[in-house]
Amino acid sequence: MKRAARLLILPLMAVLLMGADNQEARYQKLGGKIMCTCGCAEMLLQCDHVGCPNSDRMTHELRANVQRMSNDEEVLDWFRSTWGVAAVVEPRTHGFELLAWILPTAGLALGLLLVVLVIRNWKMRPAPVAAADLNLAPDLEALRDRARRETEI
Amino acid sequence: MPLLGSFCLLFALALAAYCFVVGVIAAVRQDAVGYRLAETARRAGMASFAAVLVAAGALVYAALTDDFSVAYILHHSNRALPGPYKFAVLWSGQEGSVLFWALLLSAYGFVLRLRHKVDQRLVAMASMVLAGIQVFFLILANFAANPFGMMDRVAADGSGLNPLLQYPEMVIHPPMLYLGYVGVSVPFAFALAALIMRYPGEKWIHITRRWTMVAWLFLTFGISLGAHWAYAVLGWGGYWGWDPVENASLLPWLSTTAFLHSVMMQEKRGMMKVWNVWLIFITFMLSILGTMLTRSGMVSSVHAFAQSSIGTWFTGLLIVTFTVCLVFYIVNRDHLRSENNLESLVSRESSFMFNNLLLLGACFAVLCGTLFPMLSEAVRDVKMNLGAPFYNKVIVPIGLFLIFLTAVGPLLAWRNTSVGSIKRNFAIPGTVALVVELVVAGILGKNGVRFWTDTWQMYAMLAFCLSTLVIATVASEFIRGGIVWKNKLQTNLLFGMYQLTRRNMRRYGGYVVHFGVVLVVIGLAGAAFNRDKEQEMAAGDKLELGRYTLVSRAYTEDDNANYQSRAALLDVYKNGKFLTQLNPEERRFKASGGQPVHIIANHSTLREDLYVTFQGLNNQTGHPIIKAIINPLVNWIWIGVLVIAFGTGMALVPNATVMTVPVPSAVAVASIEKQQGMQPAGAGK
Repeated sequence: MKRAARLLILPLMAVLLMGADNQEARYQKLGGKIMCTCGCAEMLLQCDHVGCPNSDRMTHELRANVQRMSNDEEVLDWFRSTWGVAAVVEPRTHGFELLAWILPTAGLALGLLLVVLVIRNWKMRPAPVAAADLNLAPDLEALRDRARRETEI
Repeated sequence: MPLLGSFCLLFALALAAYCFVVGVIAAVRQDAVGYRLAETARRAGMASFAAVLVAAGALVYAALTDDFSVAYILHHSNRALPGPYKFAVLWSGQEGSVLFWALLLSAYGFVLRLRHKVDQRLVAMASMVLAGIQVFFLILANFAANPFGMMDRVAADGSGLNPLLQYPEMVIHPPMLYLGYVGVSVPFAFALAALIMRYPGEKWIHITRRWTMVAWLFLTFGISLGAHWAYAVLGWGGYWGWDPVENASLLPWLSTTAFLHSVMMQEKRGMMKVWNVWLIFITFMLSILGTMLTRSGMVSSVHAFAQSSIGTWFTGLLIVTFTVCLVFYIVNRDHLRSENNLESLVSRESSFMFNNLLLLGACFAVLCGTLFPMLSEAVRDVKMNLGAPFYNKVIVPIGLFLIFLTAVGPLLAWRNTSVGSIKRNFAIPGTVALVVELVVAGILGKNGVRFWTDTWQMYAMLAFCLSTLVIATVASEFIRGGIVWKNKLQTNLLFGMYQLTRRNMRRYGGYVVHFGVVLVVIGLAGAAFNRDKEQEMAAGDKLELGRYTLVSRAYTEDDNANYQSRAALLDVYKNGKFLTQLNPEERRFKASGGQPVHIIANHSTLREDLYVTFQGLNNQTGHPIIKAIINPLVNWIWIGVLVIAFGTGMALVPNATVMTVPVPSAVAVASIEKQQGMQPAGAGK
């Protein structure tokens, strides 16, 4: 009977401890996405300035919300509605904040398009006349110079 | 002394203005009189350096002698401040840093004007452009941010230096960063001068290459010293927080890195001339934009800078610079026509193009993130800062692609690379990378790290694999080239590799830089495996973290003229064996209202750092709260930076000799013709 109880309790404790670990990890992870709102421009878990009016309260609220809410986005939304949208430094994936995600991606896509267009333009230009056609055989030194430049030998 | 400083600043402005105006007249005239005028402008430009140097010396002297009649000294120094930090007062505040910028700019100008014989006409024009920038900074230093403003009455003591800056690295970090920022003005001046003059050939590129590399090296050093300072002083266990001030230094670094790569296309193939000119223009404008962002109060930053109207001046400079660049580009754009076409998508040229795309993509993403608070304020009336979670998600994938290109690029031949050549060149490095990756995965798995369950740890594993690929390709380039020289000179492989390197310092120095970069990447990837624990520790209490056990021995307090401190004495055990004692401390500087500064205690090895901070006291129990963090592989970052510096130094050294190729005999020519179409053994050679 004792052995059976142990067998039941051990996995239960493991699951509970794992949960505790996860809660701490969630607290740290979410703390890295929330900013102290007192104007110090520091992340919540890094704010250490003397007499900060907000950071203690915010960290307590974060810990409580991590326990209470199972969804990370729910916790962040709670901070947005309580402390203002500027309290969370990770933009949402909808509304105006979506722009923050779109801009770099669009910039990169535009750049890629530009590179492709430049390459296409280059390839469509008439090819430079081949060295052999120019009958440059006596001018070997110039060709060698070019070869050196282009092959770095 | 303050009067002398003020006078010298005004005199320097007059000299720089003369250099600029007369430089313009000389450039327009282009006759014997113009030549003589250009010479006087050059000398005036050189004299402006002496004048700014005396002004800066006067400010340092005022700091060293505690002259609190000068407002700047009163606000940024105090009597108890140690000597070296009094010297650092020069760049610790708004007005001083503008003067320091002007000093460095005139110092660069002095060297440039001294070396005018490289190409007198081009240097005269570049000197004129540089003088224009000097005039801007000297106007700022004289009228908008004068460091020699006087107080009505002399105070007994000053407000003190920002406590965060009272750290040895802070004495060298800002000058390094400034040398980088200001350094990009020189290639900018040359690029604009060459465009204005329709300067023929690529000589301006050859002249500016070294200047650009020096500026890039200073930027690299400045950024890494700042990261090391953040790691050692801020006490949060990290080195990069994506703060706007940090981003401001990264932006010109990224565009300069892009330029250092794409410039090779222009030198070797006469391509991308427009791109290169604009890259330099953009780099200069980014360094100005960074200064504007951090000094105008437009974005919030943990780095304390005064908010003032100085931002408006920089906006003006940006507009003028962009307009001037655009006008001369439109007028002279036909001069920048490409000489060659791209022949294949699989070639060194295309790898440079994609490398530039990714570097500028990263630059654009960082810029978007840094400017987003302003956009958000304009649209929603809320300044929303973007932090590490955003930047990491956007930049890390771009960074991984870049490392991939760093591995692939050097093995591709100019103009065209065949599939056979790719297979040959990548077989060994690819196999090595895969084997190392499997070994690392095995070791991590054995230590219970389930990296496949965490996105960042998966990214880190990919970074390890790609970094190994880069190291293997760099090594294969050295070895294959070394074997050729070993056989040619009948010597050993090491000497062969030395000979190979001496004959192309730029290329092999570049490979060493790539090696340094991947060491940094390995160090950065280690952050995905960080662990930490925070605990209140009374005497005798234990804190367990990984293989380490920290035992609290004592808690001490100290008080001196400059600060009060509280520290814990901890014994550290590793796997049960005594390892060392650590002494994390917290200092509160008296002149700065008791703002705490962490003096971290760090046990550092190649494998990991045991990073311990004194977080404060529990008010109820009076016991210290200790935070311990295991930061794997951090040391690789600092070692990587030193390797990058070494590689850049190598690339700056001229080649030993120019290799001559004997004229081939008729038989040899016939044999070469027979082999036409074959790829060289080392496509990149």
